[in-house]
Amino acid sequence: MKKLTRRSFIKTTTKASIAAAIIPALPWGCTNHTGADKSGYFESGFGINDNLCQKVLARALYRGGDFADLYFEHTIRNWLILEDGHVNQAYSTVALGVGIRTVKGDQVGYGFSQELTESAMLAAASTAATIADSTPKDPASQFVKQKLENYYPLETLLTSIPLESKLPLVQSANDKCFALSPLIIKVNAQFHDEQKRILVVTSDGTKAEDLLPKNYLYASVVAEKDGKRERAGWNLGGRWDFSFYTPAVVDEIANTAVDRVNLLFDAVQPPAGEMPIVLGPGVTGILLHEAIGHGMEADFNRKGISTFCTMIGKKVAEPFVTIIDDGTNRNLPGSINVDDEGTPGQKTVLVDNGILSSYMHDKISARYYKLEPTGNGRRESYEHYIQPRMRNTYMLPGQAKPEDVIKNVKKGIYIQSVSNGQVKIGEGDFAFYVSQGRMIEDGKLTAPIKDVNIMGNGPKMLRNITLLADDFEMSRGGGGACGKGGQAVPVGFGQPTCLVKSMTVGGLKN
Amino acid sequence: MMNKEMYDLAARSIKTAKSAGAENCRVAISGERFVNISYRDHKPENIKEASTKGLFIDIYADGCYSSQNTSDLRKDALKNFVKNAVATTKLLAKDPFRTLPDPKYYEGRVDLDLELLDPSHNELTPEDRHNLVKAIEDTCLAKGGEKVISVTAEERDSYRESVVLTSNGFEGARESTFYVAGASMTIQDEGDRRPNSYNYLASVKRKGLPDPERIGAMAAERTLDLLGGKKIKTETLPIIIENRNVPRILGGFLSAMNGYNIQQKRSFLADKKGEKIGSDFFTVIDNPFIKSGLGSGLYDGDGFAAKKRTMIEAGVLKEFYVDWYYSRKLGWEPTTGGTSNLIIPPGKRSVREIMKDLGRGVFITGFIGGNSNSTTGDSSIGIIGKLFENGEPVQTVVEMNIADNHIKFWHKLAEVANDPWIYSSFRTPSLVFTDIVVSGL
Repeated sequence: MKKLTRRSFIKTTTKASIAAAIIPALPWGCTNHTGADKSGYFESGFGINDNLCQKVLARALYRGGDFADLYFEHTIRNWLILEDGHVNQAYSTVALGVGIRTVKGDQVGYGFSQELTESAMLAAASTAATIADSTPKDPASQFVKQKLENYYPLETLLTSIPLESKLPLVQSANDKCFALSPLIIKVNAQFHDEQKRILVVTSDGTKAEDLLPKNYLYASVVAEKDGKRERAGWNLGGRWDFSFYTPAVVDEIANTAVDRVNLLFDAVQPPAGEMPIVLGPGVTGILLHEAIGHGMEADFNRKGISTFCTMIGKKVAEPFVTIIDDGTNRNLPGSINVDDEGTPGQKTVLVDNGILSSYMHDKISARYYKLEPTGNGRRESYEHYIQPRMRNTYMLPGQAKPEDVIKNVKKGIYIQSVSNGQVKIGEGDFAFYVSQGRMIEDGKLTAPIKDVNIMGNGPKMLRNITLLADDFEMSRGGGGACGKGGQAVPVGFGQPTCLVKSMTVGGLKN
Repeated sequence: MMNKEMYDLAARSIKTAKSAGAENCRVAISGERFVNISYRDHKPENIKEASTKGLFIDIYADGCYSSQNTSDLRKDALKNFVKNAVATTKLLAKDPFRTLPDPKYYEGRVDLDLELLDPSHNELTPEDRHNLVKAIEDTCLAKGGEKVISVTAEERDSYRESVVLTSNGFEGARESTFYVAGASMTIQDEGDRRPNSYNYLASVKRKGLPDPERIGAMAAERTLDLLGGKKIKTETLPIIIENRNVPRILGGFLSAMNGYNIQQKRSFLADKKGEKIGSDFFTVIDNPFIKSGLGSGLYDGDGFAAKKRTMIEAGVLKEFYVDWYYSRKLGWEPTTGGTSNLIIPPGKRSVREIMKDLGRGVFITGFIGGNSNSTTGDSSIGIIGKLFENGEPVQTVVEMNIADNHIKFWHKLAEVANDPWIYSSFRTPSLVFTDIVVSGL
């Protein structure tokens, strides 16, 4: 993990990068809400009541528009960092504000304020209103609070857990890594926790309040052997209660990081060129996210710029392929009780037995397609407007045994872990970086590989999935964030072992 | 000019932190007022405008350290924030290396107007902004013709100011303006392919940007250039990396020059100071004093007086980026913690002249995915570009990749073109490398 300067850290804190936790339990200036209770937080702490919301929404619609919404946010993020054997760095950020949106067709006016005063909010609403130019529209006179499922129940707020309880967790990750291998020369460990409280109030009379936790424990190790150095890391996390972080979790993180780094000393860069690829289960689902998922976000299709924009109802994969985007998985990073424009969390089947069945919609695209929103309207913070975004995206398992999938390949690559995925939506072309994998020779896993990029085309890859195993896994990492349009949001992904007929391996040799 | 309100807030926060038990602290207050407008289908797609303000505080208490920031600047809330931050900082492990810098490094700040503030920014009207974006969109659409599926044109402009104070005597203030304008375009290709490209240009001053028609035309040209993209056979070829894309490759190299990576044994360059790590063409200068430069400044993140530095000279590694904290951990003299404006001195020939000379190769106009490993120096990255033959572009290439070790790679730098990219703090010209494996079919 790259070291960031203090300033750049501040700019990128939502991108699951660095640091550590010291913000205490009480949100400053607020009273009461010290528990995991979601109800009335902004009203009791900041005086945000229905009358005020109605007044601000009326201002947002004073020049007309189809609808308007308010997104209140109070987020506390903490990081604890261990370096050179000690937990000696802590970072934290507090974000407080409201985003105000006016929508007219597919046009958006947007203002935000860091002050939750009536005058500041009215000024931001006036900015949002400039997108419209017709007669005023009245917002609803009453707001009905949505009853939501809870996919990330908390016993205790992580910000209420004393620092003294978190410090040993990070320290133990360090100690376990060093104990596992004499080759380890450096360990960096960090614990991140985030508590995001949101209130969404819409001009059509709904409101929803949520408390979203997010946390992870990460360890990164540098090992030295025969004068060569290698680095690897691992993290586990999601929208968990602190009780998730047991000694067994710390052991798993340390064991995985150390195993991965030791393997790299024997790793080779594979030959370059086209060859069959077997994707292992779990974290390789990032490929699904990049190569296929982004192209199914409805804004890209509404504008005709996704390669999938003409494919609804058409065959895009073999009949055994089903792909789902889901906000309802318990404790996963992409789970949401409600999206950021007030639509309850739900599950959306994108590819149903090989047929493209749905895009992922926010309210704007749902209105365009005359459909209901799918609960994919998300944003990084109150400073950002809504985009259709993935939640937890996964491919359902098949029938084969993983070893039989590998046996199908005479010469190819087996990928266990990937990162740094990127896609070009219109062409469908994508690339991702293989951080761990092996060669496949005559149906068997052989030499480990490293530092190699895999290239492909999303729709082509989808058509080229020829075999799925029965070993479905979701990635259990908690530090991943997806970037789109300058906004980062937490997502999850997963899949079973999967054979893709052909992709380009960017190796060293001809 | 120092913003008095910001100065007072910073000074008050230092006082609060010290009275709560901090020995030292650094406080920065920053604010921004911005407008962002985009157009699609001849009408505004998004209009966004807001002001932001934030406080950042580094706390040094009982030998412990933490860094906090908040946008909740209500008086009582802020006071509690700082007090709580000091109290919890003291619970961390002590770190003898974590102190404010020796004030001697603050000295020698050059008294120079870097021209980071565009005085005409205040005169910009909503109509000016809309007209700018409309002109970009119109040109892009006209140039793209029947191939166009979608064009989004956009502008963002902002006024920023900041004040930094430390408890050991540093005071700094900065005002600047920032403009970005550009467009993103998607066109119809064969089958289901819809190539997309963009052209966004940044400048401190509005007059530093080309006229909107040129901005839009560049976006259209870059997108039309992607028609007919395909993979070609894996081959060892010379490559030319387009000026604006050089930072993506250079950034991987620079990360290994960072004090953090060196001290944490994650740098393949740690023991290479004074050694030849690239060809004679590889020279990198860090210059914070360029007037209206996007990376210009009179002091760095530690408050050190800015200096012009030659980081790499004719392939020899001369300096590292070492901030105060990691200089103490390494036992080295500090330099500066990060880049300002990076210059690779331009050569004499244009890209077209170089292409003609090379005959056959790939002109890389975009990267996708990939990674650079600062520990080993190994790098692998997807490419988009043009195959050229007999000096002329003949085929768009996509779904391809280059991979190499950084030191081997920079030794293959064979020429620097004459076209430094001025719309970034990395003012890099196009670079020519020989004998690169370009992976495809």
